[in-house]
Amino acid sequence: MGGGAMPEQGGGKRKKKALDATINVVPAIDLLACCITFLLYTAVWTQISRLQVQQLGTGAPEIEQTDAQKQLIVTLAMGERGFALSTSAGLAIDIPNLGRGADGLVRFDLKRLGERLKALKSSHPDAAAVTVSAEDTVPYGDLVQVIDTCVGAGLVSVAVTGV
Amino acid sequence: MPIVTPGKRPAPRFQKSKILGGKMTRGHKSTNSELNVVPMVDMFVMLVIFLLQQFSATGEVLYMQKDIKLPDAQHGQMIEIAPVVAVSSDQVVVTGVKVADIRELDSDSGYLNIPALEERLRDEKKRWEFIHQQDPDKKWDGVVNIQADKGVPFRIVKRVMYSCGVAGYFNVNFAALEAASTVAPGEPAPTPGI
Repeated sequence: MGGGAMPEQGGGKRKKKALDATINVVPAIDLLACCITFLLYTAVWTQISRLQVQQLGTGAPEIEQTDAQKQLIVTLAMGERGFALSTSAGLAIDIPNLGRGADGLVRFDLKRLGERLKALKSSHPDAAAVTVSAEDTVPYGDLVQVIDTCVGAGLVSVAVTGV
Repeated sequence: MPIVTPGKRPAPRFQKSKILGGKMTRGHKSTNSELNVVPMVDMFVMLVIFLLQQFSATGEVLYMQKDIKLPDAQHGQMIEIAPVVAVSSDQVVVTGVKVADIRELDSDSGYLNIPALEERLRDEKKRWEFIHQQDPDKKWDGVVNIQADKGVPFRIVKRVMYSCGVAGYFNVNFAALEAASTVAPGEPAPTPGI
């Protein structure tokens, strides 16, 4: 590459100095090797996230809500039969489950729940809180997916309680 | 001792000699060879860039365990440093110490709290208060991370949550594996918190 920048020879009588300079890359390699060692040692390979929930009835301070947010109370009950979504405005929707999977566990209709929650959010833009009431037999994985669906629909303040 | 080129080395009095000095070095190839380190430097730079992208300033808060399979979540937030309650299908562990057995929890009476878990969390809270006693601006936020297997029933998680609440940890974070988000390009991502 550097050869393309060489001046033409032969015109002048005086011998010119070579323009190519040798750069010592050993310190750069040392630095990079140290960086790689440090980053490999401190690398976090599994990306774990968190879903923040409130629990009701344990003396926890309640989240401050505006009057508009307090007007609508959204409750989502989940159990063997599926979901029961209800609001203080009188809305009551049952979302039955999709039967049982090969492992015998209940398969919840999360897609339909997400659509319903998005419709609810669009009709009540101020609503941001939902209370998820789960039966004792509900697996933790399904509960987390329901909370994730609620957060994805815009109901970001999730409280969890038992039935 | 200096590093010298291997091979025959004439005595200093022969090196200056035009006759003997020339004979000793004639026909010898130079043992110095130039290594092209440019590809290696390129590879190092790419590795550093990749690892910097993976770098997390908070470090590894939760350690993956063989007996705990976390569920996936698309809208989770970044995990923060807090005491970790790990709930597997066999036991409940707080910061590496076993506090309860799932079989015993299933078989005991209908009390919601888990005394050993409460005690352990109270110790953690006392430790936090001791560390921050000179820092009045730091308010207790009561954050606890619950890392449970996705097959654990809610009746166990409920008892863990209740014990956390009684011990002062009312701000519960459920741990989940970060899945790729499917938020549409025009749609704003939901902001946690009110």
